[in-house]
Amino acid sequence: MKKIVPKAIGQIGAAIKLIQLSPSMLILISCIFLFITALALVLLRAFQPNARYGWLVAAGGALLSLGSMFAWLTQMPFDLSLPAWQPVTLFTSPILFRANGISWVLAMSITALTFSILLTTVTQQVYVNSLAWAGTLTLGGLGILAVSAHNPLTLLLVWAALDLAELITQLSSVKGADNNERVVIAFSTRALGIGFLLWANILAAAGGSTFDFQSMPANVGIFLVIAAGLRLGVYPLHLPYSADSALRRGFGTGLRLVGAVASLSVLGHVQIPPTNLTPVLMFFAIVAAIYGGWMWLRAPDDLNGRPFWMVGMASLALLAALSGNPLGAAAWSSALILVGGALFLASTQNRWISRAMLIGAWSLSTLPFSLTASAWLGRLGFFLPLVIIAQALVVAGFVRHALRLSGRETLDSQPSWTRLANPVGIGLLLLFQLLLGWIGWDGALQVGAWLQALIASLLTGGLVWASRRFRLFNPVRAHWVTAAGTRINAIYEGLWSVYRSLGRLSQAILVTLEGEGGIMWTLLFLALFVTLLTQGAR
Amino acid sequence: MSAPILWIVLPFGIGVLILFLLRDRFSAWIGGGTAAILSLIALIFPIDTALLVGSISVKIAPAIQFFGRSFELNTADGPLLAAFYGLAAFWFFGTEASGTANRFVSLGLMIVSLLTASIAVEPFLYAALLLMTAAMLVIPLLVRSYQKPGKGVVRFLIYQTMAMPFILFSGWMLAGVEGSPGNLTATTQAGTMLGLGFAFLFAVFPLYNWIPMLMEESSPYATGFLLWALPTFTAIFALGFLDRYTWLRTTPQLANAILFSGIFMIASGGFFAALQRHLGRILAYAAIAEVGLLLVAMGLRSSEFVEITFLTLIPRGLELTVWALALSIFKREAYSLRFSDVQGLAKKYPAATIALSLAHLSMAGFPLLAGFPPRLALWTELAAQSLTLSLWVIIGMAGLLAAAIRTIAVLVMTDLETKWSLTETWVQTAMLGVGVIGLFILGMFPQAMQPFLASLPTLFEHLGQ
Repeated sequence: MKKIVPKAIGQIGAAIKLIQLSPSMLILISCIFLFITALALVLLRAFQPNARYGWLVAAGGALLSLGSMFAWLTQMPFDLSLPAWQPVTLFTSPILFRANGISWVLAMSITALTFSILLTTVTQQVYVNSLAWAGTLTLGGLGILAVSAHNPLTLLLVWAALDLAELITQLSSVKGADNNERVVIAFSTRALGIGFLLWANILAAAGGSTFDFQSMPANVGIFLVIAAGLRLGVYPLHLPYSADSALRRGFGTGLRLVGAVASLSVLGHVQIPPTNLTPVLMFFAIVAAIYGGWMWLRAPDDLNGRPFWMVGMASLALLAALSGNPLGAAAWSSALILVGGALFLASTQNRWISRAMLIGAWSLSTLPFSLTASAWLGRLGFFLPLVIIAQALVVAGFVRHALRLSGRETLDSQPSWTRLANPVGIGLLLLFQLLLGWIGWDGALQVGAWLQALIASLLTGGLVWASRRFRLFNPVRAHWVTAAGTRINAIYEGLWSVYRSLGRLSQAILVTLEGEGGIMWTLLFLALFVTLLTQGAR
Repeated sequence: MSAPILWIVLPFGIGVLILFLLRDRFSAWIGGGTAAILSLIALIFPIDTALLVGSISVKIAPAIQFFGRSFELNTADGPLLAAFYGLAAFWFFGTEASGTANRFVSLGLMIVSLLTASIAVEPFLYAALLLMTAAMLVIPLLVRSYQKPGKGVVRFLIYQTMAMPFILFSGWMLAGVEGSPGNLTATTQAGTMLGLGFAFLFAVFPLYNWIPMLMEESSPYATGFLLWALPTFTAIFALGFLDRYTWLRTTPQLANAILFSGIFMIASGGFFAALQRHLGRILAYAAIAEVGLLLVAMGLRSSEFVEITFLTLIPRGLELTVWALALSIFKREAYSLRFSDVQGLAKKYPAATIALSLAHLSMAGFPLLAGFPPRLALWTELAAQSLTLSLWVIIGMAGLLAAAIRTIAVLVMTDLETKWSLTETWVQTAMLGVGVIGLFILGMFPQAMQPFLASLPTLFEHLGQ
């Protein structure tokens, strides 16, 4: 009997463990649907290049993933921990993902966008590009992992995966030396962002604490903001996202929006305590938000203005985080992907869709029960009027681009099912914008700062009215809206001149050491070092 | 069968046979196969333990005597041998893809066996001589018989030769210091001698100027092999010194000297790498920074420093192999490897470009790649000791990252409307592919190295205790 009881207890324990284990698998399941579908598409392309059901496979995988996201709601919060790195004495942080309200709303937005891209892609010229679909699905999977990453180590790995994927994809699709160079520069700024996250990790280690987003030391939070700001082009203000890409509407939209939300997600997980640097960072974020919003309002079309939309929205998310409101950062991130996704994927002339798109303006309004209702619950202080102006500029720009029909394709020549799939794809994103204002996360059903929202909405209305009447608001010519503005070029020129000076210095040192008298110089240096060291030893 | 015969005499003999009997085509497979089999044996069969294989009892004896000296490989050496011969196999298989002559495989096998002998020999001071002999054998790898040796080769030889008297002399002095630890003058002199010897062997600043010169004038694959093999065994040799002499372990000045030498190598390596316009020289400075990392790991005042040192060694071998192989492929097209000559080659050699970029990013500590976990461990330990020193390491790595970004930009920048095409042979693509997969596996699952690393600290009796 004595032997049986522990065994039975062990079995019960194992069963409980299994039950505890299974919710954590939900994160993996949502990603695996996307990854496996992407792999299936690649294999299909390799072995059955003429298969006509590739799109169905892609859309089916994305739909399953979207469906699985609702299962998260029944188990949240839960963790997924991957096998620990060894030796454990050296690697104290596990690879950890957490599903909670914040990660759910972002992951849901990403899967909705992924599915929507596949639904709307049927009307586009690159419709038969199954590799682009595979890329979209992979990005979606990585995006889910990024937004549910629960410590800096996990986030570092996912950011790196996204950056490498983007680098390879972009380099294989853009043409011309300048565009290639721009892609590499964009990669370098994101790598610098990774560097800041790593530095935050090191700072925490120096303080002797294990670093996860819940138990973060007070002095490192600001580095997370800088890391995200750097990756999104807010600190310093620049446009890391080029407007040139062969796949701008479908895959290009996924690449831009998922990449941005993956960077912003960190702000939704942490409460940034105010430091001396906070007002400075808020000031620069406001400058970026107003600049992005202004240029977005005046952009000739949505795709050319997309880099400014990203900078404007990212700045608003950063401001929310800096004001001590992680919920707001998550709300802006979700709006960036859902509202922006609907706008950038709408490539067809459809008056009803254009009107329905105004739901996006509601989602961006921060009015009670909207998606961004929780946006301004933090302390904005004397920056408040400027924040309202920035928000109004971004929303007015959105309304202008949403109501614009010229330059878009018609669906008259398309088969009837594609004429249906396209609006369904856009409609899905609009539906989720409304839905997430009401259910599923901590930012839902919020009244928020309604007075501020009302003022911002009135200002938005005024800007939309004015933009049709005053030349000041006329669209700037498309070639002005490039990824390399004059001011940015001046910064780059400055950096290059420093680089060239350092190059000359290093060349002088190397010529001395590698020249004919190099060995003598080397021994001289060595004698000097030895003298210093022996002096030190005494 | 004894372990020294299996892992020292046998590969040396096969190396000699390949040199005189075999053609290029077969040498890569036979050399690589030999190293791979020796690696597997080291992994599967523990030394000095009887195993029953069917009805046959197998036991690999640990030691042999040779002219009064003993060569001894113990159970703890098994994982080290497995890792070292495994990486050597990758280098030898790569010769087929890199197009280097059969001399590489034959001399490479001899060098590997001599380096193995250096960890087995007793008294251990003889390791210095074996390291020197291995360094001499590298010369025919770097210079063809009809070529005049370049300045880099000459300097390499000079510096390696200068290291020997310092090491041997310090070994003699150390025995005296052990006898009278209170004699401060003798201690300082012995420490200085030893430091100088290892400064030459590790090529610390400013003694590393032969490395970029060599990269410019010799085959990148052969130089890469040299940059992998010699520092690896020099590090184990240095750990042996620290293990044997208590006063070396406990002298804070020495630990500081090692630490600061490493930091200086990382920072200067990163600085110079970022400013180079030659792919080979960039690899040279990255390898210098890597040795700097090894030194920083050895200079840590932490009980984990042996683990971190060994954790750095395996990714380092893989990174250098992949990088050197990719460079050899480029060198066939653009002999000089200057930026102006390799510009836009990515479209023609996509596999080599991806492999080179990833190996480079890995050395810069980019997450997801093999170099990241050891650097993370190092940063974490170092940060607890000094945040300023951590910052310098990060600055050095940032220099390497800048060099990687410049390299990628140069390789992809072209206005020509050429299409992407895979010009590499299938062997080259396969070798690069395996290397790249390895970089990702070690980057995402560093625990994959645990079978090799777990028991390595037991090689040393006192370190890390």
